[in-house]
Amino acid sequence: MLNIIKTVENGKAVFTLEGRLDTTTASALEKELAESLEGVSELCFDFAGLDYISSAGLRVLLAAQKTMNRQGEMKIVHAGEIVREVFDVTGFSDILTIV
Amino acid sequence: MDRLRKLRSSMAANIIGAILALLAIFGLIVSVFGFVSFTDAFKNEYTVSTYHMADTATTLVNGDHLDAYLRGEETEEYERTRSYLDIYCKRMNVSIIYVIEVDRSDYGRFVSVFNHVNNAVDDTSYTAWELGHERETTNDEYRQKYQAIYEQGSPYETVYRIRTNDGLHSHITTMVPVKNSSGDAAGILCIQRPVREIYDARRPYLRSIVFSTLLLSLLASVFAVGYLRVHLVTPIRRVSDEAARFAREGTKGEDLEGISPYKELSGLAASIDKMETDTLRYMENLSTAAAEKERIGFELSLASRIQAASIPSEFPAFPERKDFDIYGVMDPARDVGGDFYNFFLVDDDHLALAIGDVSGKGIPASLFMMVTNIILTDRTRMGGGPGEILDYVNREICAHNSAEMFVTIWLGILELSTGRLTASNAGHEYPALMRAGGAFALYKDKHAFVIGGMEGVRYREYELKLSPGDKLFVYTDGVPEATAADETMFGTERMLAALNEDAQAAPERLLRNVRRAVDGFVQGTEQFDDLTMLCIEYRGGSARTDEPTREE
Repeated sequence: MLNIIKTVENGKAVFTLEGRLDTTTASALEKELAESLEGVSELCFDFAGLDYISSAGLRVLLAAQKTMNRQGEMKIVHAGEIVREVFDVTGFSDILTIV
Repeated sequence: MDRLRKLRSSMAANIIGAILALLAIFGLIVSVFGFVSFTDAFKNEYTVSTYHMADTATTLVNGDHLDAYLRGEETEEYERTRSYLDIYCKRMNVSIIYVIEVDRSDYGRFVSVFNHVNNAVDDTSYTAWELGHERETTNDEYRQKYQAIYEQGSPYETVYRIRTNDGLHSHITTMVPVKNSSGDAAGILCIQRPVREIYDARRPYLRSIVFSTLLLSLLASVFAVGYLRVHLVTPIRRVSDEAARFAREGTKGEDLEGISPYKELSGLAASIDKMETDTLRYMENLSTAAAEKERIGFELSLASRIQAASIPSEFPAFPERKDFDIYGVMDPARDVGGDFYNFFLVDDDHLALAIGDVSGKGIPASLFMMVTNIILTDRTRMGGGPGEILDYVNREICAHNSAEMFVTIWLGILELSTGRLTASNAGHEYPALMRAGGAFALYKDKHAFVIGGMEGVRYREYELKLSPGDKLFVYTDGVPEATAADETMFGTERMLAALNEDAQAAPERLLRNVRRAVDGFVQGTEQFDDLTMLCIEYRGGSARTDEPTREE
C-alpha cells in the first residue's frame, strides 16, 4: 500500500509518500510524477511515512532525478533508517540530495 | 390427463379456447337479447291486432241496451247480436268472446251478457255462460284492468297468460270498453286468443341464432388455428428449433431474419441471429486467446530454460578443483527473473564471481539481466580489475538503456593461489563473510552507484584476503526482503542466523539452510521478488595441487 499526497504550487512540487514503494506501487508514483513534473523547478519528496523502498521504487526516483537535472533540483527529506540504508547500499546516496 | 396438460401448455390451443369461450359468451348474449326483443315485438303485434279485433267486435254490440238485455228486454236485438258474435267467434278464430258488466263498487263481481266459446281453436273445454251469469272477479290484475277501462277511459287492456300452470295453453285476453251512445263504458268486451305462434316462431329463431353462433365459432377457430400456425406457431417453432440446434451443434445456422412480418417475432429472430454470431465470435476469440496464452506459456517456459542455462547450474561445478567449493541458486518469482549469479575461471588462477539484481521483474528484467550478464562475462574474460570492468559495463548499459532500468552488481575476482579477493560493489547488498572457524557477518564494503543509472560513475575496488576455510556469501535483496503475511521482512539478522546455524557446512548446505529459513518465515506467503544466492568456500592454494593431471 502506498499513499501519495502531492501539492504543486508555483513550480514547486512536494510528494509525501506513506507506506511501501515497491513493484506494485511504483507504477502509481511514476504515473503521478509524469503528470505533475512539467514546469516544476523544485521537487521535494517527503519520506517520513515511507517504510520500505525496493529497486522498482529506486528506478522511479532515478528517472525523477534525471528529469529534475534538466529543469531544476530535487531533494529528499525525512528519509527513515531503512530507506536511508537502501540508498547507501545501492549508491543512490551519491547521486540524490538527501537532506 | 396428459392430453389435457399438453393442450394447456400449447399456446395455439389456449388462444383457440379463448376465442371459443368469447364466441360462446357472445352467442349467449345475442340469443338472450334476440329472444327478449323478439318476444316483445311479437307481443306488441299480438296486443295491437287483438285490440283491433276486439274493437271491431264492439261495433256488433249495442252499448245502450246491455242493461235491457239483462232485464230480459230487447230479446230480438239480443238474439241477433248473439248470432253475429257467434259467427265472429268462429270466423276470427278466437277461443272465447264475451261481454260483461262489472260491479263498479269494487270491481269484484261481474255479470255475463254475451258469451261465445270456440273450444276447437285452442283445444279448450270452456262452457259458455248464460245471460245474467254472475261471477267473482278471479284476481286483482283483472280488477285493475276493469277499473282502468271504466274510470280512466283506457282504450284497451291486455292480459297475457304465458306458460300457464293451470293446464291451459298460452293465451292473450284483450278487453275493450263497450260504449253507450254518450261515450261511456257500459260494459267490457273480452277476446281470448291462443299465442302459440310466439313459440312456433321463436323456436326456429333461437335455433338459427345457436346454429349461426356455432358456425361462426367453428370458422373463427379454423381461421385462428390456421393463422396462428402460419404466423405464430411455425415461426416460434423455427426459432426454438434453431436455438436448440445451435446449443447442440454450436455452428452458424440459416438466417432467421424475415421469418415473420411482425416486429415482435422478427425482433426475436434477429436477436437469435445476433446471439449466434456473437457467441461464435466470442468462442473464436476465446480459443484464439487460449491458443495465444498457451503460446506465451510455452515461450516463457522456453525462455525460463534459456535463462537458467545462461548461468552455471551444474554442481559440483568444478569437480576437479579442490582449492574452492562453490554453490549458487536462482529462484525467479515468475517464469523468468532479473536476478543472476555467475562464476567462471578467467584463467587457471583467477575465479570471477558475480551476482546481480535488475530493477523490476519478469520479462523486461530478464532481457536486461541477459544483456548485462553477457557484457559482464565477456569483459571480465578480457582481464582487468573489477573496477574497470564495471566502468565498462556501466558505459555499455547506459548507452543502450532506453527503459531507464538499472542493475546492482557485486563483482569479485579471487586469486586462487593467494586468496586475494579484489571486488567492487555497484549498489549491491553487503556480502556476508565468514572467517575460518568463525561466524558469518556482513562485510560493509564500499558502495558505488548502480549500473545503468548514470554515465561516468567510477567504480572503486577493494581487496580482501581470504584464508583457507573462509567463506563468502552474496545474495540479492529477495533474501532479506522476503516478506511474511504480516509484512515483516526476513532481514539480514535472520539471514545471518540461518547461515550460522551450521556455519561450518559446505556452501550447498548453507544455501539450503537459508532457503529453509526463508520458507519457514514467509509461511507460504506469495513472494514477488526473485531470490538468488551464491556461496564460495576458499580452501587454499595448496589444495589445488590435488589435481593430478594439472601442469603448473
